[in-house]
Amino acid sequence: MLSVLALTSVVLLGIASQSTALVVNTDSEKHALVGSDVRLSCSFFSWQWTSPEVSFTWHYRPDGAKDAISIFHYGGGEAYPANKGPFQNRLEFVGNPSRRDGSILIKNLDFGDNGTFTCDAKNPPDIGGHPSTIRLLVFEKVPVQAGVITGSIIGVVLGLLILVVAIYYLMRFLVARRVFSLSMSKHGKKGKGKEGSQQKQRI
Amino acid sequence: MFVLLAVIFLLHLACIALLLAATIQNAWWMTDTMSTDIWARWTLIGGQWNYTALPGFYPKEYLQAVQASSILACIFCILGLFVFVAQLYTLPRGKRFLFSAAFQLLAWICIMIAASIYTDIFHRQEQQGWYGSSFILAWISVCLTFISCVIYFTLRKKTA
Repeated sequence: MLSVLALTSVVLLGIASQSTALVVNTDSEKHALVGSDVRLSCSFFSWQWTSPEVSFTWHYRPDGAKDAISIFHYGGGEAYPANKGPFQNRLEFVGNPSRRDGSILIKNLDFGDNGTFTCDAKNPPDIGGHPSTIRLLVFEKVPVQAGVITGSIIGVVLGLLILVVAIYYLMRFLVARRVFSLSMSKHGKKGKGKEGSQQKQRI
Repeated sequence: MFVLLAVIFLLHLACIALLLAATIQNAWWMTDTMSTDIWARWTLIGGQWNYTALPGFYPKEYLQAVQASSILACIFCILGLFVFVAQLYTLPRGKRFLFSAAFQLLAWICIMIAASIYTDIFHRQEQQGWYGSSFILAWISVCLTFISCVIYFTLRKKTA
């Protein structure tokens, strides 16, 4: 009985580790200002333990170009930014491979950096899987996202409304509790502050 | 008495329906091949209607102001309906429905802001095209919410 159970679990584990390949996660789109630095994050999910041979490769395809070029490689414990190409001296590895993070930092962005970045991670023996792409958009000034002004107007007006209603009910509550005194109360009686009598007021 | 109540309630419901139709339906400005509202634009390309974004030259702040105030008008009108029903039960006899009237007043102000901004800022230069049904509904709901607001301000709960 126990041996059957052990055999089934081994078979299932074997199937599971082969049916789920490595999954690479990145943002789908990144917006940045010209002249600033942008961090392109890349991480992966794998059923295997993080191997010391883990590797990350970044490719870059400019907007309008057909081919992608290799701009960064991390492998065997060392980071290798491309020493020729559009990102020469502008690329820095800021990831933590032991934590499955292969992020890179691109400094001093320019409008020519618009394009698609692809991150490919390999975690031997888990090497199958799709690379993931990030689209980088470089702006002169950050555009107002659609709906930000709309949402803020609605939020502010509704908030003010709730505030006014709350203050109104609070004042009514406080007046009824004789904490405040009114100079002209409805029934002609003057409330005298905290030393109120026990008479109930008809609201 | 009951008839009056039903008429007022139906008027309020009509306000809500018109406001929602004006905000959601896409017929603020139309031409033969294009139908725009305050959110997006339907364009007839090659015999098929395509849903496209609004053109970039639209003044963004004014557009978002129109969007915000028309949504706020719908919210206030719907809330006003619930407040009116609540006040029907809780208001002491002989008092006015001031709270409901306040909500309708706010709805009236908001939809008037939306319709006015849209009329004044957008489509001043375009020669061809005409204002569509949602635009007309927006202006009609300006009148209806005003009438509803005045009714609520003058209505008193029946004294026994």
